[in-house]
Amino acid sequence: MSLISEIKYRLTVDVVGPSYLKWERRKMTKAIETFKPKNDYSAPPLKISAWTKELISKHYFRGRYVEGHEPVAWVTSGGPVEPLKALGYFVIYPENHAALSGARHAQLELMGEAEDAGYSRDICSYARTDIGAALSGKTPVGKLPKPDLLVACSNICQTVLYWYRVLEKHFNVPLVIIDTPFVYDEAPPHVIEYVQKQLENELIPTAERVAKKSFSEKKFKQVVQYSKEASELWLEVLNTGKNRPTPISIFDQFIHMAPIVEMRGDAITIDYYGAMLKELNERVKNGIGAINNEKKRLLWDNLPIWYKLRSFAEDLGKYGVTLPASTYTYAWGELAPMIDIDRGMESMARIYTYPILNRSTGHKLDTMRSMVKDFSMDGVILHSDRSCKPYSIGQMSQRSKLMDEFGVPALLLEADHNDPRAFSDEQAAQRMESFIEMLGVDDE
Amino acid sequence: MKKIKGDFMTIPKIPGRIETIKKFKESRGKIAAIFPIHYPRALFRAYNILPVEVWGPTGADTSYSTAYLQPYVCSIAQSALAYLLTGDLDITDIVVAPHTCDSLQGLGSILLDFIKPKQSVITIYYPRDKRDVDVEYLANEFKSVGEQLSKITGIKLTDKKLKEAIIREEEADDLLKQLYENKVYLDYNDTEFYKIIRAREYLPAEEFTIIANEALQNKTEKEKTGIPIIVTGIVPEPKGLLKVINELNGRIVADDFACCGRKLYVKGKSSNPYKYMAESLIFAVPDSSRENSINDRANYLVNLAKKYGAKGVLIYEVKFCEMELYYIPQVRERLKEEGLNSVIIEVDINDSLPHQTITRLEAFLEVIE
Repeated sequence: MSLISEIKYRLTVDVVGPSYLKWERRKMTKAIETFKPKNDYSAPPLKISAWTKELISKHYFRGRYVEGHEPVAWVTSGGPVEPLKALGYFVIYPENHAALSGARHAQLELMGEAEDAGYSRDICSYARTDIGAALSGKTPVGKLPKPDLLVACSNICQTVLYWYRVLEKHFNVPLVIIDTPFVYDEAPPHVIEYVQKQLENELIPTAERVAKKSFSEKKFKQVVQYSKEASELWLEVLNTGKNRPTPISIFDQFIHMAPIVEMRGDAITIDYYGAMLKELNERVKNGIGAINNEKKRLLWDNLPIWYKLRSFAEDLGKYGVTLPASTYTYAWGELAPMIDIDRGMESMARIYTYPILNRSTGHKLDTMRSMVKDFSMDGVILHSDRSCKPYSIGQMSQRSKLMDEFGVPALLLEADHNDPRAFSDEQAAQRMESFIEMLGVDDE
Repeated sequence: MKKIKGDFMTIPKIPGRIETIKKFKESRGKIAAIFPIHYPRALFRAYNILPVEVWGPTGADTSYSTAYLQPYVCSIAQSALAYLLTGDLDITDIVVAPHTCDSLQGLGSILLDFIKPKQSVITIYYPRDKRDVDVEYLANEFKSVGEQLSKITGIKLTDKKLKEAIIREEEADDLLKQLYENKVYLDYNDTEFYKIIRAREYLPAEEFTIIANEALQNKTEKEKTGIPIIVTGIVPEPKGLLKVINELNGRIVADDFACCGRKLYVKGKSSNPYKYMAESLIFAVPDSSRENSINDRANYLVNLAKKYGAKGVLIYEVKFCEMELYYIPQVRERLKEEGLNSVIIEVDINDSLPHQTITRLEAFLEVIE
């Protein structure tokens, strides 16, 4: 890499791009401040949205130019990113990219590329979106950098491992698998030991070799500290939803969770969630809710339906129904208290083994019951997600238990997180309306 | 051993599952119903438990399972659960749910948390790579399973007894390999051949050994005729498939079915029996459920096709089987590079073989002929 090329790169990603995005953020902030909702039930948007957009854009902007300048790793959303950050990797989360494509309605074209190449419509729609992007080079973010390293962790599903095997073959780069056996009650010692050894003996040596750098324990601890602080703040952000009215709904959370997934371990993420918490606390103080006239509060279970975020928010908002929390967004915060800087990799092994998706169906039911109580929910919507079996299997029993044993109204909604072809608008609307009616609200 | 008359020749008389189970129970043994795919067979036998694999079965009334599992869960998981819920597995003492895929992992969890059947439920998580750390983990996982089996049976197992069970199972596995290696010379049609092979799913090793030895006697000088193909997938169900292939002048020369060919385990190296069993499983035939690389799986299929002179590959999958579906495009690409045609057929094991599928098979065989 020549000096000129490096200077050009630094100027582009550290000066020119960020300056432009900062200017864009200022413009957006002003627009938010003067924004008048088109209806009387929508509250003003969160001002932090301008910063969120800047952060995400900056990340993908850097990604356009990063190849050859910094090592690039593609990592699953629940993957152990801290050792990679400590080694200076630029990290891409294909699931986030797929979600972003879904939210921008660009996913169908990308899935089509994968399906044309022979990938079945019965595989995860995130995977199809990203495999399509990898095969075609198309993406709504301009350009995705090619990976130098792939890291797949089984703590969210087995699917990501097959998906990363496809990427491994396509890009012909090393793949490190971090296998986290499923947890029923407590992970036995041999499981934690297994995960820890994979981090220490597989991930770090491979990542060092690819990055041509040595792992620094000091830097790692710093990154873990940042991760912990950001995760704790994210948890505090989510817990503001316990207020009535809730200052934040899951529709905001799904958008604003991007940094905790994508930029976990960066100092800026702490500042960002600190600012977000401040804004939400202000809202609580002033009695500003995510919607005006909050009547009923529902818990959301499972991934979002990315291509329906806005319309769902509007459809529910007009009835005075808000969704203050979801088991999904909580997953990136609930384990924050478990992070123990002094216990290093052992602590990392534990954290990465315990996400909700890697735990039993009974544990998920317990989580839902606690959240219903803590957030004063009136009911639960369980998104039966065709593309996410580990999250969805068990929901039929969980719904029955919620209703029959705990008296919590619950709706099972069939959809797919990224594929609109597996979603029936009319059917969903009818089911949702009946459910809302059952909760005793109308749109008067 | 009595013989029965087959379509073209005689096959050894193979006792059915229920008959085998009853006989084993009479000898005070316990029965474990095993969901797909891998498990330490010798460990169960060492505790005087007969593992009986549950690959469906076809024809189960899945209206029972759909109260627990969404319709996008495969028919193998649906049927296994339906079979359990209708009481057809009441004869068993233990249900074993390996973490083969997201669906079976979920099923295991539902069993423990919500359904709570009268049988003891044991889960086994096997690793997704083949590094030293994976072997070490799996050995520990097997030890943990052994502790659970000890509680259920009251048996205190010694390494010596476990090693004896391993040797017994390996003898049966060696014969399974020999059956495959001699398949093209054995005078059985595919329905008959797979009846013998699949008896390994439930017969005690010592009984399978007798049947396999007898079957190997039925070897001819000349290779059987028909268009040679290999088949990859999960399970050769519905059974009509094998008959149709032969009727269309096709001939399976080797398979990569999860219930058959992927169970050709290798011998371990360690002197520790738990580690030995772990090595045996981890270094077996490449398998989607163990997340082996696409290159490993493609190479295996190409080599298999070359070894047995197959002209094409039938990719025969159960609908919604994600772990298999991810591999298909890149594996097919590799097969094509090697001059091997392939066709994909997806089935629900509870459906009969549709005419559309038969027509596709016919067209495929014509093309490769």
